[in-house]
Amino acid sequence: MIRRIIFISLFVLINATLFGQAKVSKNHPLTGLTCKTCHSCNVPTSKDPCLNACPRAEMTTVNQTPAQSPEVEVMKELSNRYAPVVFPHRTHAQMSEMSGGCQTCHHFNTIGPIQPCINCHETKRQRDDISKPDLEAAYHQQCINCHREWSHRIDCTSCHAEKGSNESAAISSSIKKMTGKIHPEIAEPKKLIFETKYKSGKYVTFYHDEHVKVFGANCVDCHKQQNCSQCHDKGKATMIVTSLSGAPIKMHKPEQQHHKPCFSCHQDDKCSTCHLEKPSGPFNHEASTGWALNKFHENLSCSKCHGSVKKFEKLDPACTSCHNNFIQGKFDHSAAGLKLDENHSSLECENCHENKDFSKPPVCSSCHDDKNFPKDRPGKTVGKIPSKKIKSLK
Amino acid sequence: MQKQNRRDFLKTSAILSTAIAGLSTNKTKAKPKEILSEDRMGVLVDTTVCIGCRNCEWACKVAHELPTKPKESYSDRTAFKKLRRPSEGALTVVNEFSNPQNLNIPTDVKVQCMHCDHPSCVSACIVGAMSKEENGSVIWDTDKCIGCRYCMVACPFQVPSFQYDKALNPKIMKCDFCFERTKIGKLPACVEICPVETLTYGPRSELIKIARDKIKHNPDRYIDHIYGENEAGGTSWLYLANQDFAKIAFPNPGDKPMPGTSESIQHGIFAYFVPPVFFYAILGGIMWITKKRKEAE
Repeated sequence: MIRRIIFISLFVLINATLFGQAKVSKNHPLTGLTCKTCHSCNVPTSKDPCLNACPRAEMTTVNQTPAQSPEVEVMKELSNRYAPVVFPHRTHAQMSEMSGGCQTCHHFNTIGPIQPCINCHETKRQRDDISKPDLEAAYHQQCINCHREWSHRIDCTSCHAEKGSNESAAISSSIKKMTGKIHPEIAEPKKLIFETKYKSGKYVTFYHDEHVKVFGANCVDCHKQQNCSQCHDKGKATMIVTSLSGAPIKMHKPEQQHHKPCFSCHQDDKCSTCHLEKPSGPFNHEASTGWALNKFHENLSCSKCHGSVKKFEKLDPACTSCHNNFIQGKFDHSAAGLKLDENHSSLECENCHENKDFSKPPVCSSCHDDKNFPKDRPGKTVGKIPSKKIKSLK
Repeated sequence: MQKQNRRDFLKTSAILSTAIAGLSTNKTKAKPKEILSEDRMGVLVDTTVCIGCRNCEWACKVAHELPTKPKESYSDRTAFKKLRRPSEGALTVVNEFSNPQNLNIPTDVKVQCMHCDHPSCVSACIVGAMSKEENGSVIWDTDKCIGCRYCMVACPFQVPSFQYDKALNPKIMKCDFCFERTKIGKLPACVEICPVETLTYGPRSELIKIARDKIKHNPDRYIDHIYGENEAGGTSWLYLANQDFAKIAFPNPGDKPMPGTSESIQHGIFAYFVPPVFFYAILGGIMWITKKRKEAE
């Protein structure tokens, strides 16, 4: 009997603890965070989760698409001097996809529902915790920099309606105006030509499409600290048009700022790698490195040979440095478009290909006095090699 | 603070000076009132946040009952064309500089009294009108002030100014850290109005911690320097910036308290009365020699 009571009470106790905590979320402990990021005590319970006050660290669990996010928010927490601000949330969420994503504003969000600013930022200026800005400052710091960068204005009335009698009518009309607005698709430039102030090496041609498609750069690798004003600057609208038209762009930022996005990969390169006397053509492996990509290599991605690191190292130009199957007996010569006949198939590669340099035509003179490639062939031509086959040769 | 007008001051100083003349000068070192409370308040100015709206300039004038134009006129950005200094009519001003990190957003810097931990104005004031208060403010008693303007000369930041245009009863003017407001639990006027909270009001020690945290988490945003942490021996107002402080018109007063230099000169001249005695002895000697010569003739 006593045993049964102990058993039942244990069962209740275990269940209570388990379910008390499991309510938060199914995969709550699996988010890859350490407990201490959010909890200040060792054993958080549902009653006392001892959550840390929102620290300004890059940590967020907001992963909504703009379509899932609220369309328009009316911010009325602080509306004493001005009427509430009507904020087109979804448009901003959509725009944020081009820069920092949701965490641009929701910079700290523990697991669970998405926190509004007011949950962490106090409404009063005079407060105990001064380590984070108050709500008014949090809103303004988040909004003003972008807005003044493209409009060059900081007057309150660009966001705030004056308080007055027709306040509610003004709010409902701006809600109507902001509903259903979306950002048009962004036009990506193919190439940008920069005209620098240097006498020699005046032009830098930047192939945007190559960096994205060939070199495999992610947008954020270069576009680190950008916001709306990159395109939406009332003062420099012409620059955007110029950059899309392909005409040379004059230096418009300090030199250091122009170099910054390039230097994360190009820091060890000479000036003349990018700075040339005239706008240059697209990337050419032979011109830049002295090693021509023949038809076998031109369709490969850079990382196939150079590895996936951002900085592409110079490789040993010998074929065998990559192709470890280029030895007699292991290599199927028909992949090169020529099936060797019986006499030649047992020869070492370098008997015909001097110094194992396969880029040069083979030499017959070491054995034959009267034969010459390509007039005479040591086998049967088998035609074009399918690209699939080339890949498997690697 | 005890009220005292100029006549009273002159009276007491006359009596005191006659009294002191007969006494040893050893114990009358003119040290500033050194009340450095652990909880003294300060303001952290994050110049990377400031948008240059100049609302603080307006709020300051209203709080100090100085004449001002309407608030809307302060959005006029042509005021930034000239580098301005705090004056008797504007105790705080905002200046604008170019921002090396982003040319589209200039750097705006609010200037006012730094409220030094070891204020040289307090040390230089010959009538003891100026004082460093427990809450960090450096204030002065207008009734005690005789208008000698020594504080203006002594200040390493050139902050105190003088109402030259007033013929009658001109006053020394500078930021008083809104002493009258903080006394009754209000925030300084500029801190209260700032829309982006460029200005954070709090205990100085906590502000330094917050500033260090900001630098640590945003090494690209700030240079690793809290101006005012050590400058002039430490100040109540602290600044963060994204470029060298010399480029945004901050002086470099060194890390030693300013009164150290001026006082050592001042006190050296009169140390133990030896230099004056020595000086008079030389004069006496010359007199004695010339007198002897004349007698010999």
